[in-house]
Amino acid sequence: MTPLLEFAQTSFSYGDRLVLREINATISNGECIALLGPNGIGKTTLLRLAAGTLSPRAGEVRLQSQPLHRLKQRTIARSVALVPQDVDVSFAFSVEQFIEQGRTPYLRMFGGLQAADRTAIEEAMDHTDTRSLRSRVFNQLSGGERQRVKIALGLAQRPKLLLLDEPTQHLDIGRQFEMLDLIRSLSRKGIAILASMHDLTLIEGTFSSVWLLSPEEAMRKGTPEEILQPELLELAFKCPPGYRSALEDRIRGRRELVL
Amino acid sequence: MARTIAPVDGAIASDAEPRRSSLHRIMVGTLIVALVVAIVVSLGVGAVGVPAGKLALTLLGRDSLTADQRIIIISIRLPRILAAALVGSALSVSGLLFQGLFRNPLADPYVIGSSGGAVLGASLGVFLIPSLSIAGFGATALLAFVGAVCSIVLVYALAHVNGRTHVVALLLAGFAVSTMLSYSSYFLEVLDHDFGIGLRVLAAWLHGTISQPTWGQLAIVSAMLVMGLAGSVPLARRLNTLSLGEEYATQLGIHLQHTRVAVIVIGSVLTAAAVALGGLISFVGLVVPHMMRMMLGPDHTRLLPATALAGAVFLLFADTVARTIIAPAELSVGVLTAFIGGPFFLYLLRKTKQELLL
Repeated sequence: MTPLLEFAQTSFSYGDRLVLREINATISNGECIALLGPNGIGKTTLLRLAAGTLSPRAGEVRLQSQPLHRLKQRTIARSVALVPQDVDVSFAFSVEQFIEQGRTPYLRMFGGLQAADRTAIEEAMDHTDTRSLRSRVFNQLSGGERQRVKIALGLAQRPKLLLLDEPTQHLDIGRQFEMLDLIRSLSRKGIAILASMHDLTLIEGTFSSVWLLSPEEAMRKGTPEEILQPELLELAFKCPPGYRSALEDRIRGRRELVL
Repeated sequence: MARTIAPVDGAIASDAEPRRSSLHRIMVGTLIVALVVAIVVSLGVGAVGVPAGKLALTLLGRDSLTADQRIIIISIRLPRILAAALVGSALSVSGLLFQGLFRNPLADPYVIGSSGGAVLGASLGVFLIPSLSIAGFGATALLAFVGAVCSIVLVYALAHVNGRTHVVALLLAGFAVSTMLSYSSYFLEVLDHDFGIGLRVLAAWLHGTISQPTWGQLAIVSAMLVMGLAGSVPLARRLNTLSLGEEYATQLGIHLQHTRVAVIVIGSVLTAAAVALGGLISFVGLVVPHMMRMMLGPDHTRLLPATALAGAVFLLFADTVARTIIAPAELSVGVLTAFIGGPFFLYLLRKTKQELLL
């Protein structure tokens, strides 16, 4: 079976600074993958390569065996949706107007939203429980609401692959769990997910695979149990000595919550 | 695909969208009526008053005007009225486009340097070659138009690096070029030998004064406005997407570079056309898009027709006051736009609680 998305010897550099070196990995339909790695290692870059908004310096990214650079961005955006971390909306767009933008790849030059577009928008709001927010101004939403609305825009694209950049960042613990529920429910609907994550306690039970970017070695791929090993994480995140037991606690999620 | 939406959700669903769209239709309808009323009223008022009854009969096809009144209304007032409406519309749409492109509420039609080039061009026209004239346009209008276009081309070239136009560089280069060019016109003012007449002509132009246009000039500027509006229609939706930021716009398949160039070209043509007929008129391009945004929300596809109409009504009103308030003398219309536009804008700003809706 051809994979949904494939990184083939994909490298990327910003100027002279090599960020990603010869990544080889595939995402199959319906897979749910957590992308781990230290700050600045290139998690966001990897997601942008997958979304086609950055082009690899060497190698290729393929969508259903088609190299992304041969596809129009509109075509890519109908299969792959990237939910960026920070969004800065100018003007007071309502939640509904914000989500409508997810239909952009389907619209003709002079045409407006059609019935099919409306259906996609309503369904996206259903899945993310954002119907009640539709008339609110996007810039006035709380962090958790904002995150759900951003995912609704991505779903309005009707993607096969959803790329989430730090979906749980800046969320309180309840909103983090809500986000995990949402990710699981989207995954059950057959949407493949690649999400960059920081909180190691939120991986198991939600994600079926983990990709670990490390400065010292090639990207590791495996099940959560295989990758969430103290030795691997210590190396990847360059943990200072003396924190081994704290790291082990963190991985098993047994850390007591200090409020 | 069969989908049932729970009645309660359905009620919520049907709430926001139709309300927004009917408000928009009411606004456009009101503005069309307002424009017609403003044109008729403006035809009747001035140094020579024409009774409203006679005017109405004439418009209905039963001419009861004297020959003098007919000349005043058809040959003098009507072209001037159309010029004011065209200039107001062009400036407002240009302001809307630039505010959308720069995602900045302070952007106006002159934001990327056109005013500086226009000032220098107008000064050249006034002081060096006042006798130049092409297609009915005098030296001031022609050279102001050329100056505006040249300075925008210069600013664009400065901000264009490695196939990308950098938006912040565009703003900064626009400011620098505009300031340099407008101050360099000072050297031309020194050349003024005709006891300050040129300076007064230039001052009237700088404050914005709708000139008395020929029908040929009106045709040229109308054509530019129509082209600008037609070109803006497909851009309006892109500006909505661009409002979510470049990352979203790129991802959703909006070609940033093409969109930027299109906005710059269309916005500049509209601004330069307005400058040729009216000089530098302040506030219209800044205020009118904001007024519409405060009333209709930020959707550019809705703002475009409303802004085009509101700009025409606003400047026609201001110009009518400008030419009647101290008749037979005239004020610069820019004085009126600043005095009417400024306070009304501040009132809306105070009234609108939602984080300024900017």
